[in-house]
Amino acid sequence: MAAITLENVSRHFGAVAAVDNVNLNVEAGEFVTLLGPSGCGKTTTLRMVAGLEQNTGGRIGIDGQIVSDAQAKFFMPPERRMLGMVFQSYAIWPHMTVFDNVAYPLRIRRRPANEIQDRVKGALRLVEMENYADRPAPALSGGQQQRVAIARALVFEPRVLLLDEPLSNLDARLRTQTGDEFRSLQKRLGITSLYVTHDQSEAMALSDRVVVMHSGHILQIGSPEDIYRHPTSRGVAAFFGSPNFLPSQVTHCTQQANGSFMLTLDGPGWTGPCGCSSAQPLGAQVVVMIRSENMGVSTNGTATAADAMTWNGQVVQSIFRGTHRSLIVETPAGRLNIDVPAVTNPENGSTVTVVADRQAAWATPA
Amino acid sequence: MTDDTAGALRSSSTPTSKLGGVDNVGFRLARYFTGRDALVLALIAILGFLAVYPLTMLFYGSLHSTPPGMAGEFNLDGYRSIMTASNVIVLLNTIGISLGKTVPSLLMAVFLAWIIARTDTPYRDKLEVLITLPFFVPPILTAMAWGMLGNPQVGLLNQVWKWATGSTVSPINVYSYGGVIWHQVQYSTPFLFLFIVDIFRAMDPALEESSRMCGASRWRTFRNITLMLMLPALTNSFILSFIRGIENFESPLFFGTPAKITVITTEIYNSINHRATPDYQYATALSFAIMALMFLLVIWQWYVLRGRTFSTVTGKGYAPNVMKLGPWKWVTFGFCVLFFFITVILPIGQLAIGSFFKFFGFYSRDMFTFEHYTAVFSNSEIWRGFWNTMILGLAGATATMFLGSIVAYVSIRTRWRGRRLIDALAWLPWMMPGMVLGIGFLWAFAMLPGPIPIYGTIWALMLAYMALGTPVSVRVMSSAYAQLSYDLEECSRVHGATFFQTLWRILIALAWPSFAVGWVLAFFGIMRELSASILLYSVGSEVLSVVLLRLWSNGQAEQVSVIGLFMMLLVIVFRWAQLRFIKSRISTL
Repeated sequence: MAAITLENVSRHFGAVAAVDNVNLNVEAGEFVTLLGPSGCGKTTTLRMVAGLEQNTGGRIGIDGQIVSDAQAKFFMPPERRMLGMVFQSYAIWPHMTVFDNVAYPLRIRRRPANEIQDRVKGALRLVEMENYADRPAPALSGGQQQRVAIARALVFEPRVLLLDEPLSNLDARLRTQTGDEFRSLQKRLGITSLYVTHDQSEAMALSDRVVVMHSGHILQIGSPEDIYRHPTSRGVAAFFGSPNFLPSQVTHCTQQANGSFMLTLDGPGWTGPCGCSSAQPLGAQVVVMIRSENMGVSTNGTATAADAMTWNGQVVQSIFRGTHRSLIVETPAGRLNIDVPAVTNPENGSTVTVVADRQAAWATPA
Repeated sequence: MTDDTAGALRSSSTPTSKLGGVDNVGFRLARYFTGRDALVLALIAILGFLAVYPLTMLFYGSLHSTPPGMAGEFNLDGYRSIMTASNVIVLLNTIGISLGKTVPSLLMAVFLAWIIARTDTPYRDKLEVLITLPFFVPPILTAMAWGMLGNPQVGLLNQVWKWATGSTVSPINVYSYGGVIWHQVQYSTPFLFLFIVDIFRAMDPALEESSRMCGASRWRTFRNITLMLMLPALTNSFILSFIRGIENFESPLFFGTPAKITVITTEIYNSINHRATPDYQYATALSFAIMALMFLLVIWQWYVLRGRTFSTVTGKGYAPNVMKLGPWKWVTFGFCVLFFFITVILPIGQLAIGSFFKFFGFYSRDMFTFEHYTAVFSNSEIWRGFWNTMILGLAGATATMFLGSIVAYVSIRTRWRGRRLIDALAWLPWMMPGMVLGIGFLWAFAMLPGPIPIYGTIWALMLAYMALGTPVSVRVMSSAYAQLSYDLEECSRVHGATFFQTLWRILIALAWPSFAVGWVLAFFGIMRELSASILLYSVGSEVLSVVLLRLWSNGQAEQVSVIGLFMMLLVIVFRWAQLRFIKSRISTL
């Protein structure tokens, strides 16, 4: 049974649609991330699930129970939806201790004192904050506040956990660490989570599935790998990193067993087969996406795989980035961004052969 | 590409179960909405009665030929009669005096705020408390004290001058333009200081540091960055202070009237109280004219501030740049102490001295007496005024703050329909000087149907005080709510608390220090109020300020000194309690 169901959900502010006709199913125990640039409607979607905003169209269900139906004018206030939520600012109440903050959802529900004691201690142990229970909330660091906010959201075992950019106020190192910890906690507890972020690497690392949103619409839903490697549109492809796009023309199109399509393309300096999510008519213009880390260079004409795509070109820029080196090579297919191992260091102006693995190429409608 | 969710949702909710759920909650929603509408309507009714009704009656009265409650005809005689050459001078006096006091006050306030917020002057925290104290002292007290200090014949300052120099001329005469302005400067400076010091503190030091890094000197940075960033706030403070100058009643009454200097407020007062037959139509028409002037000023304020964001004022706690003054820090320290000495110690000292001598101005040993104390304590009228003031202060401040809290909540924390109207209504009395509101209420109470006898009772004063206090209480509570992020409330809702549980456990729990601060402000506001009280009191409902004024006009300056001393004591106790208990509570948050 789906833990969260959005059915044609819309949110209009006057004539502007912040969220437009969104459909989404989150399965029980799943970790789903809403990803998109600011203003894409991801936070509004989350807030509509929380009941902090009212959807102007469509229906929202949690655990199979309808919590909001715009047409039937039915709206369940947030406090009756049995959710846990972590806010971007953490929203730790400054007039309470850590213990009081975490105990709040239980006290509101009038649980007996000994149960509150046990469950708060348990929740604080989960986030390794049990030694801070009596601290006043403002005396915590950002990372500690974040842990308290998670403990508070988990303490009464909510049906669904909502998270609104919970890592964005932490510094980079802490962000990765906290994110990984939270993901393993989520897997251990098996709690359904809906997560909002604008950070692609965060979305990839944490999620079972990623929902890419743009200006109120869902562009694509899929596993992180699927979305990264097989985008359905150029917008989704461009959202992750800065891939190379090669304009090409379709000369042939067949459906594959897995539902995707195999095109035969005629592009600048190469021809051959390439995968695509949708059927393309013959003669249509498409762009082929190849990510920079899937390209390499060969300086002395060493053997390359027989079906690899190759172009000859001149190195015009070379930047050492520590983990790798970023090259820009001027080729007949245009300027290509290529990430090579840091030890590979072709001189500026030297002629190289650019090699791309055909498996890494993916076509999207132009 | 989207999931096919329709099937899942349909299977999870059979038509019957869905209908049941919708009906249930639909019913509850309907009840909730009517409760909300009832609250909005009640607020509109209360605020309408406090602000729109007296304003409407003021307009009605300005066209009505006879005093409130008497049969008469409608004509434009009132407006005709205020178009005189002498009233042009009254208008120029009003504007000139207000400008004359606002400019030096603003300069002094900026200087003092800079000393307190941005220099290493010793004992800054203590000095801040001392500098702001004059703001809390009822102006009628310092007016009387300065009347005794600066009296051209027997004033203490003149006596000291003559004794020290052997000269026979009195250098100081408070019964002059200078006296009127000087008395107002004492109040405007701490009032403006309170605004400006927070702006100095809230400014992100990086804004100034980056200017220094660009090669600007400290002084250049102050001029080009600090002052420019503060400019919107300074302009706003300037206009606010100017408006308060026009509303001012005590200073021109005490120092202007004896010198035949008349401003609009005293002209209104005189036309009702100091003529053989009170000319209500004239007074009402004049009140309406001053309202028009205030309206223009408010429009100007709105125009100046439009689109300005006080983005430098983030409410975030920055550690501001502190300038090391070296030995100069004792000069700035001395300046602050001098300000405190002149605005607080001198008047209190005068009241203390005055209270112990038979006649003020004759300070010799054989004149020493306690008779004024016994006279005051055995005077039942004074006691009645004291209790009336206390009851009105406690009840009025409480009622005002409750109203202000609800109005502020509705207008800034909700998106309810009608919230803008409520906000505008609550703000309307801000434009009405106490004198004008007093006249408006005179008419308003007289026009009420018979079974509601408010006029002549203590309720008349209570309602006027609530109207006058509401704009400030709304402002205090608005800024308190604005500092609390919505997340704090929403988080509580998501974790299971209802609207009212959230209100109590989160919002009130976090905003009560501001409530207490606003309460004390409202209480002081009521204790010092004179201009509306003087019009609305009647025998039995006198308040202390009215009793003081009557004693003063009867020439009993010595008894006035006794009462004044006790009022001062009250002010200091309240202010101390406020700083001791409320500030310490806020700082732990």
